[in-house]
Parts: sequence; C-alpha cells; structure tokens
Amino acid sequence: MREKLVPYGLLLPQIIVTVIFLAGLITGITQSLGVIPALGLTEPTLKYYREVLSDTGILISIGYSLRIAVISSFMAAVIGVFLCALMVTGKKTGGGYMRAVQLPIIVPHVVVALFAVNLLSQNGIMARVGYWLGRLQDQQEFPLIIYDSFGWGVILAYLWKEIPFIIYFIISLMANINEKLGEAATNLGAGRWTVFFKVTLPLCKNNILSGSLIIFVFALGAYELPAILGATTPRALPVMAYIQYIHPDMQNRPFAMALNGIIILISLASAFIFFALMEKSSKRLKRRKGE
Amino acid sequence: MRKDRWRLRTGILLMFVMVILMPAATLIIWVFTERWSWPDLWPQTFSLRAVREITGRKGQLISLLGSSIFISVVVAFLSVGIGVMTARALVFYEFRGKRFFHFVSMLPFLVPATVFAMGIQVSFIKVGLNNSVMGVVIAHLIYSLPYAVRLLLEGTRAVGQTLEEQARVLGASSGKAFLKISFPLLVPVMLTGFSMAYVVSFSQYFLTLLIGGGKIKTFAIVMVPYLQSGNRNIASVYGGLFLGVTLIVFGVTERLAGKYSKKAGGEYYG
Repeated sequence: MREKLVPYGLLLPQIIVTVIFLAGLITGITQSLGVIPALGLTEPTLKYYREVLSDTGILISIGYSLRIAVISSFMAAVIGVFLCALMVTGKKTGGGYMRAVQLPIIVPHVVVALFAVNLLSQNGIMARVGYWLGRLQDQQEFPLIIYDSFGWGVILAYLWKEIPFIIYFIISLMANINEKLGEAATNLGAGRWTVFFKVTLPLCKNNILSGSLIIFVFALGAYELPAILGATTPRALPVMAYIQYIHPDMQNRPFAMALNGIIILISLASAFIFFALMEKSSKRLKRRKGE
Repeated sequence: MRKDRWRLRTGILLMFVMVILMPAATLIIWVFTERWSWPDLWPQTFSLRAVREITGRKGQLISLLGSSIFISVVVAFLSVGIGVMTARALVFYEFRGKRFFHFVSMLPFLVPATVFAMGIQVSFIKVGLNNSVMGVVIAHLIYSLPYAVRLLLEGTRAVGQTLEEQARVLGASSGKAFLKISFPLLVPVMLTGFSMAYVVSFSQYFLTLLIGGGKIKTFAIVMVPYLQSGNRNIASVYGGLFLGVTLIVFGVTERLAGKYSKKAGGEYYG
C-alpha cells in the first residue's frame, strides 16, 4: 500500500504548481464567460465571445496573430530542419556551429526586439546598406519591415530565435539516427538525401512537430515582440487583451478574458491537430516495422 | 563536384552563423555609440556616456542585478528539484492518473503566459502575492518547470533503474540508492535543466510586469521603456549586461557538467 503512494508523494510539488497554474487558467475562462462575482456578474453567458467575434477589428487581429504564429512556426521548422540536416550530414554538430545555435536560445525576446530595431528599422543597418549600394536615396524608401501591418518584423524576429530552437530541439536525435540507421541505408546503396528523406526525417517527425507546436503557441500568445515591434493597427491578440485588461472600467475585464479564451481555443485546436499528426506518423512507423 | 557541394554546405552554414552573430555585434557597437546618424554605416562619435549613466547609479544597478539573478536562480533550483521528482514518478512508476499528470505537467507549453498571468493576478492580489518577489518566483516557476521536466524525463529514462535496483538488492535503502547511484548520473542533465529554467525565467517580461506590478525590477522590466522611447544606447547597455550574465550562467553550468560527467565516467548528456 505504501509503495502505491510513492509516485503521488514524488509528484506533490508538481501538483502544487499545477494547481496554481490551473487556478489561473480556470479563473480566466470563467471570467470570459462573464462570471465575476466581485462585479455582481454571476450568470454565465457567451455574450462576450459573441461581441468580440462580431467586431471586425478583432477579427483582423485574430488573422494577424494567426498569420504570425503560422508563418513563424512553419518557416522555423522548414529552415531549422534543413540547416540541421546540413549540420548532421556534414558532421558539423559540435564546436563553433553549436555555440552559434545556442546563442539565440539564450537571448531574451526583449533583446531580440532591440536587435530587430537595430537592423530592420528605416534607420537601421539594412536601410543604410541599401543606401550605400545605391538602391535607395532616402530612409523612407526602405520598406516598413518593423511596425508594419503584416507583421514581417515580428515574424523575422521570431525566426531569428526559433530556427536555432528547432535545431537545438532535434539535432541530437537526428545525429543519432543518421549515424546508426543512415549508415546501414547508405551501405545498401541509398544516396545521402534519400536516406535523409526516407529514414531520418520520418523518425524525427514527432520531435519536429512538437517543437513547432511550442513555437506556434508561443508566437500566438506572446506579448513582448508584437507589443514592441508591431503596428498600432492591427494589434496582436495578447496585446489587445492586455489593453482591455488594464482598462479602468472593470466591465471590460470579460472582454480581455474572452480574447484570452480565443487564444486558448486556437492553441488547443492546434495542439489537437499536431497530436493527430504525430499519432498518424507513429502508426505509420509501427506498420512499417510490422511488415 | 563533391568539393562544390561541400563548399555550398559550408557557405550556407557560415551565412547562418553570420545572421546569428550580426545583431549581437550591433548591440556591442550601440553600447559605445554617441551619434550615429543616417546614412553612415559606422557611428560618427563614440562615448562612454550610456555606460557611465548606468554604472553611475551603482546602488540601483546592484539591486537590479541582485533581484534579477536571485529570482531566476531560485526558479531554476526549484525547477530542477521538482523536475527530478516528477520525472522519477512518471518514468519509474505505474499509477492511476499517470497520463493525466504527464499531460498537465506539459500544459504550460500550450497556454501562453499572458493568458495565465491575467487569470491568476486577481487571486495573487487576494493572497498578497502580487507585487512580491515570491509571487514572481511562483509565476516564473510555472513556465520554467516544463522545460526542466522535459529534459529530466529523457535523462531519467536514459539513466534507468537497473543500477539502483542492484544497490537495493545489496541492501542499500531507497534514498541512499538514489543519492549514490542515480543522482550523480543525473547531474549533467540537471545542470542543463538548470540553465534552461534560468533562461526562461530571466527572459520573462509580461509575467514579471503583471505579477511584479512594476515594483519587482528585472532586466527585461527596466530595459523595455528605454527601447520603446528609442533610447537605443541605454537599452543596449542593459541588453548587453543581460546577455553577459546569462552567458556566464551558461558557461559555469556547462563547465560543471563537463567536469562532472568526466568524473562520473559517463557520457555528457546534452
């Protein structure tokens, strides 16, 4: 009997942390349904979601946040896997290259924002290089990369940080597989890239997917980069939510929480899709093994 | 033909390294820049004004360094400690709710910190945790812990249980078996988890802003206003300090991990 309680004992501190986390999450969700007893609101309603979703400005914000999250997670995965493959097949997984990959992982997002301003603003290095190359006469001619309404500045800043994250996330697994199975396949006459696409990539797929999911959710819900590098319109969802949240009129609180609720719904839906994809690829692998 | 391909690969990778390093280089230049107007590629005048301005307020700087590092070190310690226990439970035991616990321990990856922060703030205010170091530590811990747990799950699986079981068969208590056998083997992973958790905490802006109420100062909190008001050299000095401290923490843990794994004769788990 005592033996049975051991795992729960070990999990106790984790459970305490989880309870606090869930408390925050659940408070947010109940408030988004309009239940804030302190304000005399006790009747659950979907009114706030309906109102939020019928506002064109907010729909544009949802599109903006989704676009940033989709493009940055997708491109980070594709470019990250490509570079990782170059490193692995070229046996450049140690030393200097790995140091360079680690750097963006430890650089906080607010510092990345500073980098983006230094390089990409109309007064930044890129614009100046453009001038010296004779491609533009005036700084206003440099395309608006940061503070733009599409979100390129935010996306590029995320990519700088997240491409290395993907590499870091998968490189040891990929190096392992490539060494063990890759050699066998090469001995059987497969070309390097065939080995990569037919053997290494499918086995890394789940790790790549979970890395991309982490990036997707982060880019969807993070405040720093869109707040510092984003345009005034459209604003990203978390920025909108925060503005509503600190609004002096407490009646705005449920709107903030409904925006947060939308972030959660999109995150969970995407997690569902990612997990389904992972399940599918592990099933396919199992089937292949069975043959 | 083969040589061409080799050149192409090296070229692409070197470009990638350049893209990573260039922004960091601009940060260093900006620290010492006084005037750098359009369209010059190099600053017109350098000065130590920004550096002096910050080091001049010594007391402020020391308390900022102190509170930033203190918060993140505490968070990192807690993350590793809790992570070791959670990983042990999830790897070595079969019990009711195992899958559920595994899922919720990773759930913060799926819920952005902004959402959690706005949800928990009211409760934190009620119990007096808002605007306090303790509150910020708890909030950071929630987002640092999953990274530590993820690493420690893999590490614990790799170390396995067989050696510990042998020690127990030979009469060691379970506590002693863990401390003498698994613990030393886990140290390198624990150090990696420590630096990861440290970085996640050190980088938090929104959580610190909301839960710390602007009263708890960390690097991110102090730096952002300068960045937003376009005061680039001051922002760069803070950014540089920020990075310097992180690099030192990473360097130290990596050194320790290297030493430790050599001593233990095991492979470095990275």
